[in-house]
Amino acid sequence: MVLLRLTSILLLTAFAATEPIKTSFTELAGFDYTEGMKLPDEVTRLDEETVIIQGFMRREFPGVGPVNQFLLINDACGCNGTPMMHEIVFCMLPENVTMDIKPGVIKVTGKLYVGEEKEDGVVIMLYQMDADSVE
Amino acid sequence: MTVKPVHILFLLAIGAPLLALIPTDQDPEQTDWAKAVKKACTSRRYGLRLAAAKKVAAAGDASVGAIRAWAKEHGRNALPDSLVSAIAQQTTTGDAVVELLLEWAGDRDFFWRPKAVQGLANRATAMPERRKQLLELFEAYRDDPAWLVCVYARLGLHLLDSGNRAAGEQDDPRIGSKLTALLLDHGKAPPLQPLLDALADERTFQADPWGQRRASEAHKALRTALGEQHPMADGKASDDKIEAITAVRDAIHTRWNQELSVPELQTDPDIGATGGIAVQSCRDGDLFVQWSDDGRIYEGLDSRFVAQLPAPVWAALAKERATLALDGSYGVLICDNMRLRWHQPETHSRIAPDSMPASTAEWLGKLAIALQDADRPQLSAAMRAALDQFGSR
Repeated sequence: MVLLRLTSILLLTAFAATEPIKTSFTELAGFDYTEGMKLPDEVTRLDEETVIIQGFMRREFPGVGPVNQFLLINDACGCNGTPMMHEIVFCMLPENVTMDIKPGVIKVTGKLYVGEEKEDGVVIMLYQMDADSVE
Repeated sequence: MTVKPVHILFLLAIGAPLLALIPTDQDPEQTDWAKAVKKACTSRRYGLRLAAAKKVAAAGDASVGAIRAWAKEHGRNALPDSLVSAIAQQTTTGDAVVELLLEWAGDRDFFWRPKAVQGLANRATAMPERRKQLLELFEAYRDDPAWLVCVYARLGLHLLDSGNRAAGEQDDPRIGSKLTALLLDHGKAPPLQPLLDALADERTFQADPWGQRRASEAHKALRTALGEQHPMADGKASDDKIEAITAVRDAIHTRWNQELSVPELQTDPDIGATGGIAVQSCRDGDLFVQWSDDGRIYEGLDSRFVAQLPAPVWAALAKERATLALDGSYGVLICDNMRLRWHQPETHSRIAPDSMPASTAEWLGKLAIALQDADRPQLSAAMRAALDQFGSR
């Protein structure tokens, strides 16, 4: 009986440890971002956590065909403001995995990395995700 | 008094550095703007495009020639939204920049027309010599079919303190909250009830959480404006949404002495929608249509009932719709798009302008005729306009 209880607790703990944290663009983009700033705690707490977030898929560059990486943004239409760095999650699918850009809202689950990523001295990403599933 | 050469040299020595402090749209570094514009338009990394766009925009008149040259070679719609947006958010008021924005604002086929109007609104108070011209433009666009053009035109009217600029009952529900958020960003304190109402918006359209986007926008604007007075600043945020909104309402009262009412949560009406069409178009305006299995038709993001199609008409339409085998997407999506979603069979597709399959266009044409016959000429005309934009050439 004790063994059964222990097993149940371990299973529940393991389940709790893998349950993704639900987040949203309200949280990720709910502040005015400027380069080099200290990011709010509600954002940095998500660094290297497995999260689930919903949004719209968008190509990093206009085109056609399947993609291995995509931008997750909060609005399907670019007219409503160009997404700023903190309004984009740069999602990377596993190696050799590609998929078509899906219409409508999708849910992406994966490990999120929070922090400025620079190239040529320019911030090119703030949120990156190793996307494990796209629904 | 004789001026000795040493005096001239002395004046030059102390004066020359000061010349650099005089703001001009000149380009002392002789930047290759053609190269910078190309980078803003074609870099494969979004962040690099964004950074280049900001640099080009900050240059004001100096980079306009290169922007025009790029647009002439590749087409105006090849300019990315990030570049037009960066120009819109700048404050430079040189003639070349303003004339460019005016041209873009007047081009109904330009994808980023709302941002051009935004750029003019943002600069409106800094250009008293253009006040009359801008007022005419903002008045002309205050009820534009594209809701974002309406928003920025009304923002311009607000900032110039002229004309009828309030959002009304018949307006797209997104207009009032966005306009209020923008005014708050501009340091104004308009009546903030639209933002409080937006915080309680949970409505969706065919699974698109547009209400949540309104809420996010309102939250961000209020959090920025309230700063340390925002309930989240000292960890007083509540998990209960109504409690959280009440705390924001109280903070607004403390800061601006506005008496606001706490809204009820706005959720989707139970209309039994089983399919719909969402058109996002900066040219002709957005269009939202949903239907139920028994042929009831609803219009708008807020799902207003508009017609009950006769059973035989609807049955024929439903039968034909079931044969439309649509893929996930058609054409290269840049901005304007049409989304089609329904059950039986499960269908979800996004279509770029000029890219709709002929069979789908034919079906939508029949739906437009049915709506005309049901005495809904305006909705029927809007559907035909969408067909004109998205149908294959």
